[in-house]
Amino acid sequence: MAPKRSILLVDDETSILRTLQLVFEDEGYEVATAESSAQALKMLDGNGHFDAVITDLNMERQDIGFEVARAAMKRDPKPAVVICTGFASMSNSRIALEMGVDYMAHKPVELSELISALNRLISRYRSL
Amino acid sequence: MPKKSVKREAKFPKMALVVHSDVGVLSNLQSSLSDRGYTPIIARDLPTALLAMTQHYFDVAIVSSRLREGGDGWPLAGVLHLVFPRAFVSVLAPSEDVLTLQSAINYGVKEVYKESSTASDVVSAILAEVAQDSANQKPRLQ
Repeated sequence: MAPKRSILLVDDETSILRTLQLVFEDEGYEVATAESSAQALKMLDGNGHFDAVITDLNMERQDIGFEVARAAMKRDPKPAVVICTGFASMSNSRIALEMGVDYMAHKPVELSELISALNRLISRYRSL
Repeated sequence: MPKKSVKREAKFPKMALVVHSDVGVLSNLQSSLSDRGYTPIIARDLPTALLAMTQHYFDVAIVSSRLREGGDGWPLAGVLHLVFPRAFVSVLAPSEDVLTLQSAINYGVKEVYKESSTASDVVSAILAEVAQDSANQKPRLQ
């Protein structure tokens, strides 16, 4: 049996974090949460395994979510990296494209699309 | 040895797929790719592009974001990325805005170029990126 899918959610808005946590737990994911990029970076520095990381962009400061995304992308095996932002701009979208982020969701997030994208990405990464 | 590498390239040519509804654009991209040592395969529509995908292994793909109607090139680019994960899949779009960049990320496209760019500029930019990617050896998978 395939191990449970694990996800790290990073957002400084508690209501969003809790909503996404409930949604993904309901989908059968094992969910870890971080309310700041600093907390997320510590978690990514540890031994925990994540199949996916979904991070907000603007937390302690603007676009700091990219640091979380970069740290996630350095892990081996690399998790699927998703950016979820309410402040998409040309500049941060271009950075995300050049970094090779796997998915970018704009808030308010269409949950069914996000779940479907994440399931697809994790299946693909696991099949490699 | 130079002789050996020439032989190898002839046996395994670098393949490029170009999908665009405009014959003029196809022709210009075809010439630019040929001039730079690629073997271009061109398609004007989705069925032809899909057929080409069953017949060749592509290293590069250039797809118009609009084949028959606006935005229908994006899913094709996404499929190209899934089928050829190491390929440099790019899209020609009318403009570069936030939604275009979001589509590029979510379909696994490596780069977006403006439709108005010349074929030569697009191909030069792609080949520069491909060279950089080969140096980094970090394929993007989705």
